[in-house]
Amino acid sequence: MNAESHLLVARELTKRFGGLVAIDALSLEVRRNEILGLIGPNGSGKTTFFNVITGIYASDSGETVFDGNDISNLPAQAVYRAGIARTFQRSRLSLPLSIFDNIMVGNHMHLDQGLWFNLGRRGAFKRQFEEQFERARELIKIFDPPLADRMFEAVGGFPMIDRRRIEICRALISQPKLLLLDEPSAGMTHEETTQLMNDILEVKERVTDLTVIIIEHEMGVIERITNDCVVLNFGRKICQGSYQEVAADMQVQEAYLGIK
Amino acid sequence: MKRTLPEFGVLLPGIAGLIVLTVYLALLLQVESQTEIAALLVIAVVAALAATRFGVMPRIGRSFREFEGPFSLAIACAVLVMVAYFHEDHFILLLIATVIIYIIVTLGLNIQFGFVGMLNFAGAAFFGVGCYTAAVLTKNTPLPHLLILVIGGLMAAFIGSLLILPVLRTRGHYSAVITIAFGLLFKIFLEVNDVLGGPQGLHVDGMNVLGWEFNKNIEIGDDLEISFYVNYIIVGLLVLGLSFTLVRRLERSWIGLNLDAIRLDETAAACFGLNLIRWKVTAFTVGNFLIGMAGALYAMMVGFIAPTNFTFGDSLIMVSIVLLGGIGNPWGLVVATIILVIVPEKLQAIQEYRFLLFATMVMLMLLFRPEGLLPRPLRTYFPAWKPR
Amino acid sequence: MDIGLLGQYIMNGLMLGMMYALVAVGFTLFFGVLDVINFSHGDVLTVGAFTGLATSLGLTALGISSAPLVVVIVFLSAIVCMSALGAFIARYLVLPLKSAPALNTLLLTLMLGIVLHEAVRLFYPQGANPQRFPSLLSTEAYSFGHFTLRVDSALLLLAGLAVIIGVHLLINKTKLGLAIRAVAQDEETAKLMGINFTLIVLVTFAIGSGLAAFAGIMHGLYYSEINFGMGLLLGVIGFSAAIVGGLGNIYGAIIGGFLFAALQTIGALALPFASAYKDVFAFGVVILIMAWRPTGLISEKVSERV
Repeated sequence: MNAESHLLVARELTKRFGGLVAIDALSLEVRRNEILGLIGPNGSGKTTFFNVITGIYASDSGETVFDGNDISNLPAQAVYRAGIARTFQRSRLSLPLSIFDNIMVGNHMHLDQGLWFNLGRRGAFKRQFEEQFERARELIKIFDPPLADRMFEAVGGFPMIDRRRIEICRALISQPKLLLLDEPSAGMTHEETTQLMNDILEVKERVTDLTVIIIEHEMGVIERITNDCVVLNFGRKICQGSYQEVAADMQVQEAYLGIK
Repeated sequence: MKRTLPEFGVLLPGIAGLIVLTVYLALLLQVESQTEIAALLVIAVVAALAATRFGVMPRIGRSFREFEGPFSLAIACAVLVMVAYFHEDHFILLLIATVIIYIIVTLGLNIQFGFVGMLNFAGAAFFGVGCYTAAVLTKNTPLPHLLILVIGGLMAAFIGSLLILPVLRTRGHYSAVITIAFGLLFKIFLEVNDVLGGPQGLHVDGMNVLGWEFNKNIEIGDDLEISFYVNYIIVGLLVLGLSFTLVRRLERSWIGLNLDAIRLDETAAACFGLNLIRWKVTAFTVGNFLIGMAGALYAMMVGFIAPTNFTFGDSLIMVSIVLLGGIGNPWGLVVATIILVIVPEKLQAIQEYRFLLFATMVMLMLLFRPEGLLPRPLRTYFPAWKPR
Repeated sequence: MDIGLLGQYIMNGLMLGMMYALVAVGFTLFFGVLDVINFSHGDVLTVGAFTGLATSLGLTALGISSAPLVVVIVFLSAIVCMSALGAFIARYLVLPLKSAPALNTLLLTLMLGIVLHEAVRLFYPQGANPQRFPSLLSTEAYSFGHFTLRVDSALLLLAGLAVIIGVHLLINKTKLGLAIRAVAQDEETAKLMGINFTLIVLVTFAIGSGLAAFAGIMHGLYYSEINFGMGLLLGVIGFSAAIVGGLGNIYGAIIGGFLFAALQTIGALALPFASAYKDVFAFGVVILIMAWRPTGLISEKVSERV
């Protein structure tokens, strides 16, 4: 195994909730600059895997190596700083806040957090604010240019597709090396999903050095955008390969369709 | 910069609103007859409803937002005009000073509750820490009194930091109970403790800054005597101005954004690197500092403090002000404090019923208008700033 | 220490523990079905005690003096009225805020608590002063050395025990209890199974509030005095007991209640010179326990780490 070519390596990760084993000795490698699809039936441990990687849950055993560094059981804040950003299954934007505010939450590590800088040096603060405003605007333009003119409107007033876009911008603004997308198509129509996938592919083209793991139920999406797929069932990896390979696999059909 | 006509159009509603409010408040403070006060209050409610109905409120709000600096100064001036008008009426000036001090307290609570979402049902206790600090220090030390104000705030922040561990380890309901328990503990402790005067309380020296005795009426010439409360109003306004600026700048900075993000979704905030503990501690400490400082000023002004000033009911009134005013909006606090402090003092009939009345008001507010009287607007980092 | 005196302390502690446990069970029931904390619970207890007092005075005025009858009517009227109040609170104050932030429910019920006890203070005749609660039960007592067993205390303890067993049977052996447990476990699934969610919530609030009324009368009979502020302390301690037992866990709440009483009793025994500080001690322990085990001593809930 070549450490250079793998951005993320998970070894024997296990997470239990009481008696339930949500992920079970899961080992997984993610190559740099690929889009990896993570699929599996409900409750197969996909989101738990994200939550363990990002430090929301501590794993019970196993280790995670990211970009050559051990990030097993680091707190969520440190995982973010290491360069992993994510979206959530049920969009977790702050609805009462503006688009700009939401994106800036994701931009935490590029903002000066000093007490004196924020309270005392309003001139310097304003320069940073204007700089970051431009960055946020450029980013959101990739997704939907009209949104760039509505940066100071509350997110709660926007439709689901825009919220997904904003949420992905929030994750991208920190320029992560790894982007975790948790079911970005949930709650959207087929057309909207297609649109959003176009956006993601466009971002992927513009940003060098971005690796994506995407949890998705829509096989069309998986087929279209991923280079590689991992199928989970009962917290275990049952199959890995290209979409075509995975789709042909008997175990996968069994997991999804119950065909024996 | 050339003043253009549209700008004047933005300014005008604010100016008109300020003048009407000042005159109204002066009238409300002046009138003694209970029926007239009741009538004035009814007029205020009707006028407020009408103003909302006909879209006057948003325009006034816009004036204030876009010219916040000038309007803040104008309000301070309006207060001073009122003070000049009532210059010998102790009772009315005491009320004005109390309003000012309470606004400082609720600004502190607003940082905790409105921004970062930490409940503090021990507001009266932290206020009391400031009061008792002032009482002990004015009696026993030669420390300059302005410094004692600061120490009062620091003491409250310090006591708060003892509570911070349990508060941080718990969430929502649980930390609410911790602060309730602390508030009750504090009051009972004061009552059974002899060193701090027990139930009888303590005497507090008046403020004295560089020989300027605050508790003496100011005499100018032979027949102009100005109530000593004016001294406290001036210092109170200064402290309030600083606190208000602090809260405003806090809100309009990345820190304010951090606090909002933590309030709205801790998990998401942590996933984007926000250090929850750091910001909660900051908000809790700064909030308690303001509350304690206000307490120290209050103690020196009233000259006498006892445990009965710091009950759970008082803490709830403080929280009520934040809720009624519009969580997170400092201007809402100003309006709500004026209502909650002045109305029961003027309208004797409801004095006895004030807890009942306020609690009912807050309940109705939560059920039907949870965003408060003056809902908090979206954050603008620089109010007049427009994207290029 | 004298055995008799020790017995006295234990009796006192058991009595306190019973009251705390009854209050804590209410908190834990509400939390179970609706994931809310009803902070007005302590003040519902106060109103229940005053309802009982008013009933007994009314009966006296009517000339009904048969002691057992009076006791039964006093308990029943308080429990029925508070059950109704509890259901009312659930229906018109708590359920409407179901989709609002949890904070709002907390504040609403806190304010409701104020409204309730202020209403007692202002509108009950002489409500601002402590009220004497009549001794409705036999005041006979048997002495064993320094230990005096009052018949009424023993009866109250037995009655409390019966109520707790009753709640246990209700929750575990009846269809209603099954429905309550189903709602507590998973609201959506329970609804799909055809359980009337709103009704179950109302019934649960009625049961919890009835328990509070029972505890309120118990308090009145045991101490022969009630006042408008009594609910605050009982509420805070009852809530803490529920937390210690793990919110949502009925047995935990009962154990938590007795644990708190034990702590207070031990505190009073160990620090007799500092008896004035006993409430300071109680609240200090509340804070410390919550700092130590924020999700309770018994619960094993999965929580996010951040």
